[in-house]
Amino acid sequence: MKVEKATKDQITRNVIVSLFIYILPIAAMFITFLITGQRPWEKKTQHLENTKTITSKNSQNNGSND
Amino acid sequence: MEATIDFIKTIIDNLNGIGFPFLVFFIGILEVTFGLYRNKWPKNERWVDISCFILPRLVIQPLVAYYSLHFLPFISPDAKNVFSWVPFFWGFAIIAVADDLTQYWYHRLHHQIPWLWRFHRTHHSASYMGMAMASRQNIIYTIFFSQIYLTAALVYLGLGIPAIAVRAIKSTITTLAHSSIPWDKPFYKYKVLHPIAWVLERLISTPATHHAHHAATTDDGVGHYKGNFGNMFFLWDILFGTALISRKYPSAYGISHYEGDQWTAQLLWPIFKSKVEGSELAPNGPVVRVEDDYEALARREANKEKKETVKQQSAAVPVLSNN
Repeated sequence: MKVEKATKDQITRNVIVSLFIYILPIAAMFITFLITGQRPWEKKTQHLENTKTITSKNSQNNGSND
Repeated sequence: MEATIDFIKTIIDNLNGIGFPFLVFFIGILEVTFGLYRNKWPKNERWVDISCFILPRLVIQPLVAYYSLHFLPFISPDAKNVFSWVPFFWGFAIIAVADDLTQYWYHRLHHQIPWLWRFHRTHHSASYMGMAMASRQNIIYTIFFSQIYLTAALVYLGLGIPAIAVRAIKSTITTLAHSSIPWDKPFYKYKVLHPIAWVLERLISTPATHHAHHAATTDDGVGHYKGNFGNMFFLWDILFGTALISRKYPSAYGISHYEGDQWTAQLLWPIFKSKVEGSELAPNGPVVRVEDDYEALARREANKEKKETVKQQSAAVPVLSNN
């Protein structure tokens, strides 16, 4: 049993539109960042760098909090 | 601030774990209380519904645990929490679209591609709507269900909170759309609520639009099993021209030619086949069986009612004679 041609064509058209819809919220997010000047990914990198100093392997006090 | 976020996260995590089965159980109790299953839940269908609710969970829970704890860290060890910087609002929007649009396609293709239909047929063979049939699916349909893996992957990538929030809202909407309690009726009845109804029925799945998808008939102005595929958002159906909004509820549900395939075949086809001759799940059955006409359907419904009346009368006779 085969898929009717009209159905096949409709699926193809709708899949192409869907690809744009998938991208839409991601594009909207970056456009908002561009307008507002926000760079939240940088905050995350900073946060990681800050937390790095308190690990036992790289801290001066050899892991002791005293 | 972090303590508050952790607290909210714990609540959402717990709700996500127990919330869905609780919601199904609570609405199920209400449906039974209102007598919505009276004469509509035969023994065979009970077995299908209960086995489809319990057995796939026993397979899928360990599978998802393996996928989250071993598979994802193995294929992409550096990707853990890589998107944790995405603000909640945008995370929610991205996931809501990605998750629900993927499910729309998964669902639509099972209706429009003939060889996929038999994996989804079990969900449509129920001649009633309600919590009993909401989880009724063939195990293969459930195992390949994109949402579970997508949510697990998004949690791994650091989008756990928005992913779980989307899942909680989506489960509520889809559960209520399957319910036999027509919560949307007042929106159509009272004129003052019509503007809200107009937005609601285009935005999300409602009992009226989703019941139409489960109707035994189509092209009669109410039933529309050839469309209304949306799960959380109905917007996809509007956008792709697969929607039918009638604000009415179908008079009959299910598949017009359904004759009660065994629960083993409905849950585990193609591993187990149906013994019902001519069924789509039978060894030599058709891939898609052409629907019976309305007259045949009406005849079958009338016969069913007749049988039930005779059964009730014969059950009542000994009681009367004892008195």
